[in-house]
Amino acid sequence: MRAEPGRFADVAAKSVGAVWRAYDLQLTVYAALLAAFGLVMAYTNSVESGQSALTGTVFQRALMWSAIAMVVYIVMTAFDYRWLKTLAWPIYFVNLALLVMTLAIGDGVGGSARWVGIGPMQFQFSELAKILMIIVLATYLGNREGKLDSLGSILGACLLMGPAVALVMLQPDLGTSLVLASILAGMLFLSGASLRWLLAMAAGLLAVIPVAWTYLLRDYQKDRILSFLNPGGDVQGSGWQVAQSQMTVGSGGVLGTGLTNGGLVRGGYLPVQESDFVFPVLAQELGFIGAVVVFLLFMALLWRILACAWRSRDPFGTMFGAGLASAMLFQVFVNVGMGIGILPVTGIPLPFISHGGASLISLAIGLGVIQSVNIRQSRAEW
Amino acid sequence: MNATLLNPHRERDRRPIRFLVFGLITILVFGVLTSRLAYLQITSGATLAARAESQRTVAEAIPAPRGLIYDRKGRLLVANVATYAVKIVPSELPYGDRDTVAQRLGGMLGMQPSDILATIDSAPGSRFDPVRIAQDVPKDTARLVSESSQQLPGVHVAIETRREYPDGPLLAHILGYTGPIDGAAYAKLRSQGYLADDLLGKAGIEATFETQLRGTYGSEEVERDATGRDVQVLRTIQDAVPGASLTLTIDRTIEREATQALKWGMKAAGLKRGVFIVMNPQTGEVLALVSLPSYDNNLFARGISNKDFQALLRNKDKPLTNHAVQAHYPPGSTFKLVAGTGGLQDRKITPTTRLRTRGYLTLGATRFYDWNHAGFGLCNINCGFGHSSDTFFFQVAGMLGADRLAYWARMYGFGKPTGIDLPGEVSGIVPSNQWKLDTLGQPMFPGEVYQAGIGQGYDVVTPIQLITAYSALANGGKLYRPQLVHDVVGPDGKVITPFKPDLVRKMPVSQATLRTMRLAARSVVTLRHTYNLVDMPIKVAGKSGTAEFGTRDSKGRLPFHSWFVGFVPKDPYKGNFSDTTSQLAFLAFAYDSRTKGNAGTEIAKAFLQLHFHIKKDYLNRDLLRRGNFYQSN
Repeated sequence: MRAEPGRFADVAAKSVGAVWRAYDLQLTVYAALLAAFGLVMAYTNSVESGQSALTGTVFQRALMWSAIAMVVYIVMTAFDYRWLKTLAWPIYFVNLALLVMTLAIGDGVGGSARWVGIGPMQFQFSELAKILMIIVLATYLGNREGKLDSLGSILGACLLMGPAVALVMLQPDLGTSLVLASILAGMLFLSGASLRWLLAMAAGLLAVIPVAWTYLLRDYQKDRILSFLNPGGDVQGSGWQVAQSQMTVGSGGVLGTGLTNGGLVRGGYLPVQESDFVFPVLAQELGFIGAVVVFLLFMALLWRILACAWRSRDPFGTMFGAGLASAMLFQVFVNVGMGIGILPVTGIPLPFISHGGASLISLAIGLGVIQSVNIRQSRAEW
Repeated sequence: MNATLLNPHRERDRRPIRFLVFGLITILVFGVLTSRLAYLQITSGATLAARAESQRTVAEAIPAPRGLIYDRKGRLLVANVATYAVKIVPSELPYGDRDTVAQRLGGMLGMQPSDILATIDSAPGSRFDPVRIAQDVPKDTARLVSESSQQLPGVHVAIETRREYPDGPLLAHILGYTGPIDGAAYAKLRSQGYLADDLLGKAGIEATFETQLRGTYGSEEVERDATGRDVQVLRTIQDAVPGASLTLTIDRTIEREATQALKWGMKAAGLKRGVFIVMNPQTGEVLALVSLPSYDNNLFARGISNKDFQALLRNKDKPLTNHAVQAHYPPGSTFKLVAGTGGLQDRKITPTTRLRTRGYLTLGATRFYDWNHAGFGLCNINCGFGHSSDTFFFQVAGMLGADRLAYWARMYGFGKPTGIDLPGEVSGIVPSNQWKLDTLGQPMFPGEVYQAGIGQGYDVVTPIQLITAYSALANGGKLYRPQLVHDVVGPDGKVITPFKPDLVRKMPVSQATLRTMRLAARSVVTLRHTYNLVDMPIKVAGKSGTAEFGTRDSKGRLPFHSWFVGFVPKDPYKGNFSDTTSQLAFLAFAYDSRTKGNAGTEIAKAFLQLHFHIKKDYLNRDLLRRGNFYQSN
């Protein structure tokens, strides 16, 4: 363990080498490999949607966003994360402002408001909201160390998260609001919040479900859940997506059909194949083996994030890592689960693999902050 | 920075158990995902792959080229042309987008969005069957629609062949047209391989010979993408067999002559409807069949707009009705053939029996007037028929009685469809005592029998029945089924069904009787009952008819239809009417004629001049002036 607390005080103060040693190289490598998978999928989807191999817009955009994300990652690593704690409130309000703006001027499919055009690009601020809310909650919970098992901490965290969840829900984007809820749950759980209160709140949420079904969920959201419960019901509608993605996955077999050879994909059978349904395409073209490699990379990355969180002496770092890991685990589970037919269809991107600048930038910020925490542990001592 | 001022050596309040649980949850999540993936990809991979393959390939029908139609001289009367059609697959059109798509597509095609939606909703097939929205779409529009596929979900552009009828209205009542299959027909024909968006013959020969013309559709395995567009043809399962071609008995030249003559007469006499038929009495072959007004069957073949269709339906002269076979009218004096033949054959009269013809006949308190209020004195059949004496035939009909008169009418083919190769033929009415009992609850009154004798009672006939009857007179008593199709020719050029005259019956009439009637028909012309028809250099026999109908006007006059039905000998210049070799019978019918003379006769004359290239004009335009036939005499 390079990050053994005892050794920091001796070396970190003056040595670049010590900073390098505190830097978690494994984390970077796993993230880079996952991002590489994302590029490969962008390439194959470009080709299959009839664009030329290298100039295809999907692939080109993915390349551009990867480059931007790399820069963001380096900048965030170099940036002293402790400023984030100072800026937590401004960040919080900027985040809410961005979400309100999205509602006001955003575009989306069928009357929703999810993207905001910035020049030629579209940006989904709800993706950014995930990482910004992790920063805010980590600051809040870090400051309340010692009182974390009180009901007050739980309610405070819920109050902070509430407006963001509500704004995203209004877009309407059920998937992202669920991710935000999972961040809240994961951070509270790992912070050591009282299990009794957490369970009580979970029970309360379950009780609210019938009410939410009646008053909050939109028809298409209900359709998706219903079609998940009864996939044969509407072959051409939501259930069709579920059936199609399972067929896509299944036809991949152990070794896969090879990149750019997904027959169903080429035929346009799978909707939104470069974002929500990217995993079935990956599983089809790279097969069971390729999918398992991706799973292993995610597990390794989660392990590194949790390890960094664990060893951080700053409770902010611990909470931040907890939030990042929760969000990532939840997204992988829901996105992949949807693609292989064990969860209902929700528009949640698969980290690194789904195309989308906002998602990748958010990940770069998150991992950059983790590294920033890693390499500044020693300076904190000094 | 104060928040980070931590004592590095103080053990923080960490929760190892919680981190351990989180780690276990992570492992559990990936365990679940991996096992489900293994199930999908390893255990049921082959099944799912096969299902994925099968949904991409579908068996599609290969429409067979529809058989062509020629006239008796081999002139092409219909062509198949490739056109663009716009279709919608309802299942691919999200319900919420219907209105927008209909709006947008309507704008491109120049159609009412409501018509588009109505077409979709009334489609006979399932939601997955394409529905034809527009046929015969211009190339540029078709391109625009297919390039806008993003904005038009479920909309497809297909290439299909449609019928083109170069002669349009000239032959519309004979050829008919093809059109989209409707719900009732689809339900019935589906098992025979008809598609929900199929085209089929809906009127005329196209309808009656649908089976022969259609051929046999083939099928092929086609790879499709998710939007239903064909990507490629994988293999042909069965080749399509083109439909058989038809050679009609119609001669387009004669059809044109007949149309020209009829149009001339209708214009001169101010008529709204008319019929002209030309037939070969030796075989029943119909050489020309004209019913005016006509319509352009290309409108239907191209997909008629609702507006045009409603206009055709609203027209009170019924251009969509073939008045030669789909409507019946009182035959008037032409029907005296039946009374005459019956009286002779039943020996009520002989060729030399003379009856006194007066201005009227009294029956009880009712007077039955002759058209000639002076009468013709003592008349035999030749005189009675030749002058068309009503009182002569009142007496003959009285001798025969209602049932014998009906019997002879049926022998001539009246009261029953002739069986011509056209849809919707009506049967006409031959009144007998039984018929009147069944219909009106009383037997025929004697006065009604009188009226029946001159074709003015309950009798109604179709023009095709009347010419068939006179053809039987001309050919010596052989009643043939009129036919429009000469040969059915297979796609290989071999004749499948060669022409054969279809004898309905050999009439139970002696040749002597028929000869008497033919000579009497000749007298109609020679006695100048038909004015100057006799002056033509060809020899014509026939009978005119003036059939009153409808309601009397203020002066007590009835409107009337005017008929002329006749025939010429095999050699029209030198032949005679003792023999039975006539090869040309013709019929002219003028609906609601109000002229001084018989419009039918003038129309027939016009036709004969055209057909036999008679240079000198024998037309008597004075007779076509407005005025009532009964008044002028």
